[in-house]
Amino acid sequence: MAHPKDRSGLTRRQVLRGAAGSAIGLSAAGLLAGCENTTTPLGVGGGPTSAASKLVVQKPLGPGGLPLPRPDNAVTWAITPENEPIKDGKPVERGPLRAYNYANYIDPATVKKFEDQYHTSVQIATYNSADEAIAKLAAGAVAFDVIIGLAGSNIVDLIAHKLLQPLNHSYLPNLSKNIWPDLQDPFYDRGDRYTVPYTVWSDGIGWRNDKVSEDIPSMPVPWDIFWHSQQYRGLVGLLDDKRDALAMPMQRDAMRTGIRPDLNTEDKTIIDNAEHELSQLTSICNIKVTITDFQTLPEGKTVLHHSWSGDLLAGAFYYMPKGVKPSVLSYWGPKANGVVQNDFFCIGRTAKSPVLAHAFLNFFLDETNAYNNFINYNGYAPPQNGIDAEALIKRGLIPKTLTEALVRPDQFAANQELLQLSVEGERLWDDAWSRFKAG
Amino acid sequence: MVEVQGGLGLGSRWTWRALALPGVAWLTVFFLIAFYAVLCVAFGNQDSLSQPVPFWNPLDWNVGYFLSVMHDIFHNGPFLTVFIRTIVFVVIAMALCLVVGYPVAYFAARHAGRWKGLVLVLLIVPFWINYLMRMLAWINLLSPGGWGTRILHGLGIEWIFLHLGLLSNPGGWLDGQQSTVILALVYGYIPFLILPLFAALDRIDQRQIEAARDLGASSFSAFLRVTLPLSVPGILAGVVLVALPMFGDYYTPDLVSASTKTNMIGNQIDEFTRQGSEKVSGAVLTILLSLLLLVLMAYYLRTTRRAGQEAGAEG
Repeated sequence: MAHPKDRSGLTRRQVLRGAAGSAIGLSAAGLLAGCENTTTPLGVGGGPTSAASKLVVQKPLGPGGLPLPRPDNAVTWAITPENEPIKDGKPVERGPLRAYNYANYIDPATVKKFEDQYHTSVQIATYNSADEAIAKLAAGAVAFDVIIGLAGSNIVDLIAHKLLQPLNHSYLPNLSKNIWPDLQDPFYDRGDRYTVPYTVWSDGIGWRNDKVSEDIPSMPVPWDIFWHSQQYRGLVGLLDDKRDALAMPMQRDAMRTGIRPDLNTEDKTIIDNAEHELSQLTSICNIKVTITDFQTLPEGKTVLHHSWSGDLLAGAFYYMPKGVKPSVLSYWGPKANGVVQNDFFCIGRTAKSPVLAHAFLNFFLDETNAYNNFINYNGYAPPQNGIDAEALIKRGLIPKTLTEALVRPDQFAANQELLQLSVEGERLWDDAWSRFKAG
Repeated sequence: MVEVQGGLGLGSRWTWRALALPGVAWLTVFFLIAFYAVLCVAFGNQDSLSQPVPFWNPLDWNVGYFLSVMHDIFHNGPFLTVFIRTIVFVVIAMALCLVVGYPVAYFAARHAGRWKGLVLVLLIVPFWINYLMRMLAWINLLSPGGWGTRILHGLGIEWIFLHLGLLSNPGGWLDGQQSTVILALVYGYIPFLILPLFAALDRIDQRQIEAARDLGASSFSAFLRVTLPLSVPGILAGVVLVALPMFGDYYTPDLVSASTKTNMIGNQIDEFTRQGSEKVSGAVLTILLSLLLLVLMAYYLRTTRRAGQEAGAEG
């Protein structure tokens, strides 16, 4: 059956006839004589017009008609005359530096060190979701020097809304010195023209190895554990994020069949199938949909969770109750064909202290500062060449059971990022997620 | 002389009307205009960046998203499931609020005597603590091994819930139980019901009850025929005060359950408006929820006005 929103091509007359069974719908439509009837967003539509374009399979376009970055469709964002990077060698402004970040996503002590070093103050405002951040930035409600924590799935929105200013790499020597080579030239922002990486993580399974008896990593398809979790009913969690959550059954199916999944698919059948499989978890284990696994797993309020790797590390660092060892936490992440992500730093187009903003970015690209931010507070690892899991395990900072929670460069390359979709694609994922969440 | 009195009366009338101005201005800015904005978003569109584009002119309104949501509801879609679940949760929670709250309000108003002030303070005390804080406290109390869980187990209440199928496993109060969400709603909102009920019961003229007893009514019969009917406006006020926030609640299910089986319409609205590409659908659901509440409110106003008229006629 076609989804209700597939009716956007119908005329108003047809829709009114079709809705005859719906008294309220009819009365509303009747009252609104002369109104339009569409669920097609403004500015969407139109296809290839030239003869040459018919010779190419068209790729979906993102918000604002911009290209959607993919590993096989790398994008170099243009630097326009009205929005050029700052010139070389400018003096650092006094500040204050205004930063916009997720709550509790940067180490206050490391920020204080920056303040002391640059004799300035850093004012951090927080947002709860990327959508909220972009909506507020786009509305001009907030203006910041530095924006922290957005990801490749937001880059098109940021560019389309003209929210970023290009970076001048002469102020960022630590980028080429310390950061993984792949992320110095990511496909979503070739040449790191507008962004520099902040953290990396993977999607995987977090569990309490003292309460879950199964050897999850040894299972042919570890994701199956969620569909065999009847005995942990009420203690199982799923990430409350439509992309991560729906991508999980997609990975499971792909592992079973041995194919490489497209975790940024816009195929309605695949998305609906993922929703169907997720819905089974409601009856199997009454799955909780949360992002508090960093706390609930250490406390034992959940024992099995679909998790971001950084949450397990943060849990091990800071949320273990008294008398519970961090080694009770385990994490498994797929070596390939799973989800990896990276958050980035960027500088706001209306930055009042752009040189100071560059200094801030370079400061957090420094190995020691990045390490302190990760180990002392954040739990989400920076993609620094000098930070590796073995060294951290040897120093006793990370239990062996969480080795896989630290993403390696080869793992990052073999997995997929969840990226921005076309408007229609986004809607398909939203619809599926809404159906799942309705229970 | 008459002219002077008339002049004073006119001035006085305008003075009283002027006093209403701040309230009217407040409602206009923060309710009517805000509500009209939501309406314009619900009957608007969104741009290619998935941001809502309100259509301010009603003649331009786009009914596509509204019809889409209505289609979902009338074709047994997920919105219908959530709407029905929300109504069931709220009706049960309201009934429980009444069952628990009425005796408390009755005792405080009619039998607390010199302790009336203390009882009132105790009723108001929960308001001193933020709703969210109170709910977060329950998460610890109801966790496995928590004090609340142990007490419920010790009192045999857990056993009753398990045997009635309202709890799936021992100690699993936070395992995504519908019963826990309903009880949390009752706990969170019951003071809003008790206070207007107390006020209504306290206002009842004792002589009317005494008259009923003098005419041979038993105490129970006097309660049933005099006290209860006279407290109906208080019951209705309490029910409305409780129902309105309950219908829009989304953080209670989030905090004490987080299961998809307990999601209410507020959760859907929150999901749509806070993130994703369906902000217009979120506005449509907000309008539909408002319509539902409007029906409740209209019934309350009609009943209280009729009660007022009857009281006036008797007077």
